[in-house]
This record gives sequence, C-alpha cells and structure tokens, in this order.
Amino acid sequence: MWLNRNITKTKTDAKSLSMLLAEFFKVGEGGLQDWVKRRFVEKFYGSRPHPFVLALQHPSRGTLLGYVVEHQHFLRQWVRSCSFIMARTDATDVILYELDNINTEFGGLGPEQPSHYELLLRMGESLGLDRTKILATPALTDTVEAIQVWDNICQQDHWVEAMVAMHGLELIANRNLRKEGARMHYFDPTILETGEVTDATRAFLREGYDADVGHSEEALDLAAKYADRFSIVEDVQATFMRSIDAFDRYLMARLERGRQFESA
Amino acid sequence: MRVPEKGCVLCEATWGDYWDEVEGQRMFFCCDICAVEFKNMIREVIARTGWESIDEIKIDGDYRGRDCIALKGDKRYGFFVRFDSKGQVQDLNDRPITGARVEPQKSKAV
Ligand SMILES: [Zn+2]
Repeated sequence: MWLNRNITKTKTDAKSLSMLLAEFFKVGEGGLQDWVKRRFVEKFYGSRPHPFVLALQHPSRGTLLGYVVEHQHFLRQWVRSCSFIMARTDATDVILYELDNINTEFGGLGPEQPSHYELLLRMGESLGLDRTKILATPALTDTVEAIQVWDNICQQDHWVEAMVAMHGLELIANRNLRKEGARMHYFDPTILETGEVTDATRAFLREGYDADVGHSEEALDLAAKYADRFSIVEDVQATFMRSIDAFDRYLMARLERGRQFESA
Repeated sequence: MRVPEKGCVLCEATWGDYWDEVEGQRMFFCCDICAVEFKNMIREVIARTGWESIDEIKIDGDYRGRDCIALKGDKRYGFFVRFDSKGQVQDLNDRPITGARVEPQKSKAV
C-alpha cells in the first residue's frame, strides 16, 4: 500500500525499485526542510489537492463546524505531543520553541492573545454551535486513529522524529508553499477581507495564516539540525510519511463531520 | 464480472499477490485490504440496486474516495465510495450504509 501511494503502482524489479526509493528519500541541497516541504506539497497541494483544502477555499458552515469539532481533539493531542518532545529532549532551543508553541496553540497569552484553541471554539460559537456541545462531542474514528498514530510516535520514537511528525503538519497553513509549487493556499485569502465568513472565523484563520509561517519553518530548522547530529535523517523521513498519512485521513474526518452538519 | 486484465481489481496496482473469491469468481488484489474493500463495495451495490449480479464496475479515484459506475446489462448505477482504515464502507453516496460487512481475514488467501 505504501509503495502504491508513494512510489509507483507498477511492480518493478529490485534494482529499479531501489533507485526509485533512493530518489524518493534523497535529501538535496535544501536539506531535510526542503524534502519535508516537497513531500507535503505533493500530497496535499499537488495534482490532486486534498478535498478538505478544496472545501476550505470558500468554506460552508458545515465544513467549518467539521473543522471545529474534530480539531479540538487534534489540538488537545497537540499539547500532549509537544510535551512529550520537551520531556524527552535536553536541547534548550527545542524546549523554548515547544514552550512558545504550547502557549500560542493552547495556553494563550492573556486576554489580548487568546490561544488558537480558544479561537477555534469561538469560531464554532459564531456559527451557532454551543461551546459545551462542541466540547462534549467525541472525535470520529478516523480522528481517533490519527491521534493514536501521533501519540505513539511522540511516546516511542525519537523526539526529533516527533518534532517533524508534528510541526511538519503546520505546513498546511504555510503561505510560502505557493513558492514550493502548491497549487493554492489553505483557503482563498480573499475570505479574510470579505463578509463571506464570520468575524470569529476570520480571527481563527488569520491567526494560522500569520503565525504558522515562521512556526513550522523554525521547527523544521531545529529538527534538521538535530537529525543530522544524531544521524537519524532516514528515520525522520519514514516517520514523517506515517504522520502525513494519518493527517490525510484526519482531514477527511473533518469533511465527514462537516457533512453531518450539512444534512442535519 | 469483467475485471481489469492487469493489476488489483480495486486499485490497479501490480504489486502483491493476494487472491480472493468475489461472487464466485477468483480475483487478484494487491493486498487483503483492497480485497475486503472491494467485497464490501460489491455487497453494498447489490443491496442498493437489487441486482443479482454485476457485469462490471468502472472505478476512478484513489484512497481518499472513488467515483464508480456499476453496470448490469443496460442499467447503470453511479456512486462515490470511501472506506475506513479497516476496509469497511464508510460512505457511499453520502448515505448511511446498511449492508452486511466483510471483515479482513488473511486466512482466506488461496
Ligand atoms: Zn489494491
């Protein structure tokens, strides 16, 4: 299945296959960072962009509510993941990075700067879904399974693998991906200017749009440095592929949840 | 049922070597999950159309979902299908599913 999805569907002999694999995992001059971006763009923004990204260009209420309900679970796992990384490293730059990330995503920095988690819940409320109802809704199976993948990576694999597995996902909202060949943004940026979505939705999307750019790239720089130091670049690459497969399914769960709101 | 000359009946990959019987016919799949998915899809289509058998299913798409057309004589049934991680039908034309389920079972390989 992995070969089908990532290398080729056509059975090849051992020699050609090893060449294809070497090509796939080859880290060029741009380092591990570029490799990660390339694979990410290919999967989510390539010739077949992810259906959730397509739906988010001009999102319906259902799509946004699907985002809210499933993503609350993702963000709660996010904090666990970052905490595992912190607990398992003694690199000060990594600890500082993760602390900052946990605050932005989950803790918030006082009333002036609510966390991404808080902004997500407000987006849900602005679309008519009560906060208590959001919090009481369990995740769909695909979300649960994806979270399990990330939890396992963060508990069992090297913390550098965990870093790329988690922070690589922040590329989804990275505006610079257009330069890396992405066919579109995470959403059509004009919706930040028009009255197409609620104010709280704009606030949530804008936060990601502005914040995650530096975020994911800084994490990838750190991870690339330590992956080299520990000589585990290939392990990191394999783990990243597992992580984006889980992410793909998780994004489908957002859509599935969105459909439930549309048919309700 | 007419199946592709080459490759897995569901995904057309030529990797793997998993044979399974569907509606009395021996078919090639790249893996046990594709076999389970295909069997569940067939069951679902038969349950919905009421057809006794299917002549052919044209499939277009990938693991995120597939647009299909089932053919029986001059009748056609178009549908979109998605599977969960265990190969069960998760979504077929946005409607809840009714059909019985085929579970993954490696021992069935022949
Ligand atoms: Zn297959």
